[in-house]
Amino acid sequence: MNTEVRSHYHEELDEVRTGIARMSAGVTELIPRATQVLLEADLEGADLVIEGDSLFDERSIVLEELCFSIIALQAPVASDLRLLVSSVKIIADVERSADLCVNICKATRRIYSHELDANLRGMIQKLGVQASRLFKEATEAYLHNDGSRAAAIQDMDGYLDDLHRQFIQVIFESHSAGTIDLQVAVQLALVARFYERIGDHAVNVGERTRYIVSGWVPDQPYAESGTNFDEVDPGGPTGDGG
Amino acid sequence: MSNVSDRIGFLERGLDMSDALKPAVHPTAGETSERTAEVVFDLQQLSVLYGDFRAVRDGTLQIRDQQITAFIGPSGCGKTTMLRCFNRMNDFIPTARVEGKVLYHGVDLYDPAVNSTEVRRRIGMVFQKPNPFPKSIYDNVAYGPRLLGVKKRSQLDEVVERSLQGAALWDEVKDRLKESGLGLSGGQQQRLCIARAIAVEPDVILMDEPCSALDPIATGRIEELMAEMKTDYTIVIVTHNMQQAARVSDRTAFFTTEINPDSDRRTGILVEYDRTDKIFSNPADQRTEDYVTGRFG
Repeated sequence: MNTEVRSHYHEELDEVRTGIARMSAGVTELIPRATQVLLEADLEGADLVIEGDSLFDERSIVLEELCFSIIALQAPVASDLRLLVSSVKIIADVERSADLCVNICKATRRIYSHELDANLRGMIQKLGVQASRLFKEATEAYLHNDGSRAAAIQDMDGYLDDLHRQFIQVIFESHSAGTIDLQVAVQLALVARFYERIGDHAVNVGERTRYIVSGWVPDQPYAESGTNFDEVDPGGPTGDGG
Repeated sequence: MSNVSDRIGFLERGLDMSDALKPAVHPTAGETSERTAEVVFDLQQLSVLYGDFRAVRDGTLQIRDQQITAFIGPSGCGKTTMLRCFNRMNDFIPTARVEGKVLYHGVDLYDPAVNSTEVRRRIGMVFQKPNPFPKSIYDNVAYGPRLLGVKKRSQLDEVVERSLQGAALWDEVKDRLKESGLGLSGGQQQRLCIARAIAVEPDVILMDEPCSALDPIATGRIEELMAEMKTDYTIVIVTHNMQQAARVSDRTAFFTTEINPDSDRRTGILVEYDRTDKIFSNPADQRTEDYVTGRFG
């Protein structure tokens, strides 16, 4: 009875989803690389990451155009439409996160020749690991259309925010102890911010994934999906999908 | 000018965004009228049977005034059968009978005391294939009023002009009212049928795939016309074109078929009935989702 009637169209939708997931997985791997570049003051590695960013830019344009073409030609509705509209936004989050990794590598150039103490290095390591973990979860949740997994990302981001605050504190301490100069302190504060922003983009991907799954934008009381469709259940029309 | 001052007014009020951010203000036509509009049809557990075969079962829904309601669903799901209950068209099929109730403004349409001709005067129908009578354009439109006893020429002229204008056809045919209705293009013929339907001043217009025999331009005209007509009429449309349902209707009912366990015959069922934007952005039922996204045909 359940005969697939628009298989080519659905293949294209799969292509969007896997294409974005692949790009997002690329960012998940790029984060530890950028961290390594920073900790090892690896200028050659920094160049590679910076040059490699054009691949992410190119990929994001190609995927965005694919989304537009499907919207224009296939008149998607319901979950398909939610997937495509959300994907256009997710592409921007992923692409921007790759840019933030580039920024971390550029900071590496600026603080080159300055030694970082163990305390700072430990914090950078932790920030990198947590940011990458967030991105991995966001990628998997999006790829597998897993609303409950996506919902957990917000909490994980809370830990990244804590690390960010702690790191800023450590920077202050190192600076007043005279172990780093002002320029390095400023660059490291920016680096902390870059990781924290990567986390925010992962949270966006998670929220959009929840929207794809349930048609409901979490924590957005002004969204039509959150207010108008609530005749049945004020918590969202079909729950939050998980 | 007023627009500009409105905008400036908004700026002068400063950055108070509270108006702009008020939740749940989406005054689409369907939405506003939904709260105030009268219930025109109230279907209660409606089933239609042909002999002992149940073609569609347990349809329960309310259709409100000044709204366009679309019925969608795969072939054989009973959407046309259900539409035909609204003006007792099924009476013409000897084996057909209904169970449950169709209340029209609170009156049971299938009550033996109800005059089915009067039902069809109040509830007009436009069919899939344009079917003008082999008469002049004028006589096509004047046919119904004449049957109802209107004889005065001036009165008929007035009804014909008003109906053709209501069907957005007047300007195209006013100089050739004596020519045959069959000489018009397909889209014009369909609008002539709409003019003929509204000439008897009905309350409701039922449309059974009114655009399926028309090209996109003619389809666009009919859809435009429907949007204009809904301030005066309640419109129920059956369509195979999901995009058309999405474009024109305020509410959409999705029907599908279920296979009877004891035979291979299929019975139509109403799956979901909701605001059209809800049906096409976030339907509640998986079967609706599968149908509108083409995962089930």
